[in-house]
Amino acid sequence: MTHRAGIAGFGLVVAFLATSSSPVLAELASLGDDALSDVSGQGGIYLSGDVSINEMGGPVENYHFGRCDDATRKCGARLAWRLKETGGWMVLDDIRGNFSFEGLTLRVRHVDSGFGGDGELFNRDVLELGLPNTVRFNDVHFKIAASNTARPTDPGFLQTDIFTVEMRGEVVMEGNLLVFPTGNP
Amino acid sequence: MSSQSITASILRARLLVGVLALVAVPAAAELKGLSEGEMARIDGAGLGLVFENFKFSHGTDAPDANGEQARIFRISGIKSTDGRDVDITVNHLYISGAGSNYGENLSPVNLGRLTNPWEIDVVDGNTIGVPDKAVLQFSAPSQVAAAEGYDCFGASASAGTGTCSSRPATADYIGERADIGIQMNVAVGDDRSANINIHAKSAVIDGSYLRLWGDDNRRQMVGQFKLNFYSPEVSINACAQDGSSCGSRIILSNFALELALGNELQPMLFDVDGSGNFVVEIAAIRQPTSGEIGADGLRSSSNAESWDFYNSYYTNPDYRSNLSIGNFSVADRDFGSARVQGMLIQHLNIQTKDLSQ
Repeated sequence: MTHRAGIAGFGLVVAFLATSSSPVLAELASLGDDALSDVSGQGGIYLSGDVSINEMGGPVENYHFGRCDDATRKCGARLAWRLKETGGWMVLDDIRGNFSFEGLTLRVRHVDSGFGGDGELFNRDVLELGLPNTVRFNDVHFKIAASNTARPTDPGFLQTDIFTVEMRGEVVMEGNLLVFPTGNP
Repeated sequence: MSSQSITASILRARLLVGVLALVAVPAAAELKGLSEGEMARIDGAGLGLVFENFKFSHGTDAPDANGEQARIFRISGIKSTDGRDVDITVNHLYISGAGSNYGENLSPVNLGRLTNPWEIDVVDGNTIGVPDKAVLQFSAPSQVAAAEGYDCFGASASAGTGTCSSRPATADYIGERADIGIQMNVAVGDDRSANINIHAKSAVIDGSYLRLWGDDNRRQMVGQFKLNFYSPEVSINACAQDGSSCGSRIILSNFALELALGNELQPMLFDVDGSGNFVVEIAAIRQPTSGEIGADGLRSSSNAESWDFYNSYYTNPDYRSNLSIGNFSVADRDFGSARVQGMLIQHLNIQTKDLSQ
């Protein structure tokens, strides 16, 4: 008796599922695999950017930081990382300036031709990052240094500046960067 | 009763399968299963990078009438041994396609091949001699068997002529070998007379890599760096400061550098010391204990395992650096070829020093 009730119960569930799903199928026509394969990711991202880092010296202003017009003080962001548990710190210091670009694109692209015959063998999708042709640097500075403490405000701070790089003007950067997973188990 | 309950449960199971099939059918129609072959190719282990039609150029312009410079690219902060500031003004740094005529006609180039790209990968250390470690690896396209590769120097090399994977440019393909160069003015103090230009034609760095991992005992980042650099022509010359008149070109033809810094037995160690100086060290290989290697140096009179260890260390060509120059010439004078081969770094310690302290 209980079993029959159980079977009847399942029958109802099936009937309910069938009726509830049929209106949806009637309104939307499903795409076949062929039709789907014609739909490519036409959408992409087009980015223009203007990035300023610490142009005015940053939020902290004390005896060490925060004034770009004072040569005795540091101005700009600082990134420090350690290579050994008890060792000193590698530092990317004094990062500041402004860079802007127009037309950085991002899209998914299927490669199956070109590249001197490699494209045909490859025949896969890649993530394509279209470089913006020119990037305008406006007084971009950074400094590679090594220091014994993470912060210049820590006691006993010593730092050796290895070199400083300064860039201004339009940097030509043309082409596409293609990114894809590679098999190497 | 018992047979009834079996029938009922079979029915119930069939009904359940029916329901599952009904629910699963729409999903199966939209998603397509991957074949074994496709699955094997995709493991997401590494990230392949290829630059397509790539061109890079930056430099420093001469000042205009108001003393303004549109472009500046300067490296400073270095001091000479006598304490004067060294300032390197980069007049032009470029990466271009072949045939750039020392950076004057820039054209695009592909870097890396889709079938052998630049890679960022976490490698199983057991496969590269670093036991039980995950190793972070940045690598250029790998070298391939001579039967399928291209000669590393030849501008018109065809398949099966060498071990380089990157191909030279042809009439209908831009190739994967870049012309790279740097023109710079090195100023020491107020002396701005040194204008040095270095150009490499059709350069290939296949087989280069940087591997980084952590050493448990030292609790430190260690690494291994291999740089392969091949170019049919590396040239160096010096010009007047305005670049108008240049001296004779020093040409190193068929230039091949295979530099191995650190290996799995002697990794490179990176550190910053207590006074804030950067230290790179390649540790010495461990000394054999007394009696471990026989006085006659033969395997029969030594501890076999130790003998094999040292034999492998001294004979492994991967641990050695090579430099070869096909021909060295200055203007119309040829100095012939030069070759440094099988250089094994036993111990190296490089430390920056702040001269102002």
